[in-house]
Amino acid sequence: MTLNLAQSWQDALDKVRTWARLNSPWLIHYNSGSCNGCDIEILATLTPRYDVERLGVKLQGSPRHADVLICTGPVTRQSKDRLRRIYEQMPEPKFVIAVGSCAISGGAFQGCYNVIGHIDEVIPVDVYVPGCPPRPEAIIDGVVKLLQKIGKQ
Amino acid sequence: MISDLTTLLFFPGGLSMLLAGMAFTWLDRKLLARLQNRLGPRWFQPLADMVKLLAKEEVVPAGVNRLLFVGLPVVALAGALTAVLYIPLWGLPPAASFPGDLVVTVYLLSLLTLCTGLAGANSGGRFSLLGATRTLTQLFAYEAPFLMALMGPALVAGSWQIALITAGINGRWLLFTQPIGFLVALIGLMGKLEMPPFDAPEAETEIVAGALTEYSGRGLALFYLGRSVEMVLGLTLVAAFYLGGLSNPVAFLLKTLGLLLFIAIVQSLMARLRIDQTVGLWWRYGALLVLLQWLVLWGGRWL
Repeated sequence: MTLNLAQSWQDALDKVRTWARLNSPWLIHYNSGSCNGCDIEILATLTPRYDVERLGVKLQGSPRHADVLICTGPVTRQSKDRLRRIYEQMPEPKFVIAVGSCAISGGAFQGCYNVIGHIDEVIPVDVYVPGCPPRPEAIIDGVVKLLQKIGKQ
Repeated sequence: MISDLTTLLFFPGGLSMLLAGMAFTWLDRKLLARLQNRLGPRWFQPLADMVKLLAKEEVVPAGVNRLLFVGLPVVALAGALTAVLYIPLWGLPPAASFPGDLVVTVYLLSLLTLCTGLAGANSGGRFSLLGATRTLTQLFAYEAPFLMALMGPALVAGSWQIALITAGINGRWLLFTQPIGFLVALIGLMGKLEMPPFDAPEAETEIVAGALTEYSGRGLALFYLGRSVEMVLGLTLVAAFYLGGLSNPVAFLLKTLGLLLFIAIVQSLMARLRIDQTVGLWWRYGALLVLLQWLVLWGGRWL
């Protein structure tokens, strides 16, 4: 009986934690070698027109404050270590959204001498948003898909 | 004993204050969003942020003093929550009062900024250090004008005790007789809370997140909560001193919210000031103007 009680407490706490996580995803944005097309679309997503603050989304400067790493572009040899370091600086639980064709497959930069490849080869990715560049609506859809995924876990 | 504990933990200190702080933070963000033609965050947003931060991992960077790193957020929040006891919240008389508690309250309110600065200096990162320098520079800039502005009503009432000052004001709106003091107090409060245009200490476009760059999870949540509580306290203090002392809670809340609206409008109108412009604003204009007002008040006595 006592064990059950502890279990139900645990479940209730988990529910509260998941609710809070779903309602306050703070982003950090990193460009690991993109042509800036996707970055401009991400910035457009954060403007008052799309107003992502109504979903609780906030852009944070410090990886220590963020929950979601939203990265664009293929990974170049120079930015590989930085990307990994930013990912490791984020506190658990952390999630990654890869935005744009290059982040998914390397895109137009595939096979370049200075490019390692897609984001997946360096850090684990939770959600992919295709497009070259994806529209702000698609990026918001990617965030919502990520939240659905967190909710199911 | 029981009533003491209730005062400390539920009302007016502790839990109710944390909830009020989060409500005011939401209102501030919502007003700012509406002024920028956005929908803005939902009503439970600060609560969700706090719960999420408290449930997150807390990273302690290598090479910091662990005790200080973990302890400073607690001291910061505790300072703000202690100041609650001396402030006439919701237009009710303060929970505790002794001669000279105005000075103690202002000191307790600046404890948060001091802890932020120390936390930044202790974190070891270059952005934290720069943020800490700016935080402390700004502290020395606004603190004296802010205290001097709060001493205008104290001069009128002839006391340093918050309860006696609010009683001595006796329903008069000092906003009209001391407009300079009112403005300096309110703008000093904005500097204290590091709101735009005084957000150079945490300018994310320049120095990542300022002094709190290395903080995550629990520590960050406690600092944010401390700032929310301080916003309520500061607005209450200014409302009590300049907008007619104590009154019934509903009218007092309306006055406080009016001040919040004013702060939100200033935030959305102004761009960020450089740190030297901030210091110049307070020392060249704020402090001197308040001094002038003191002289007028003093001279008015002998007439």
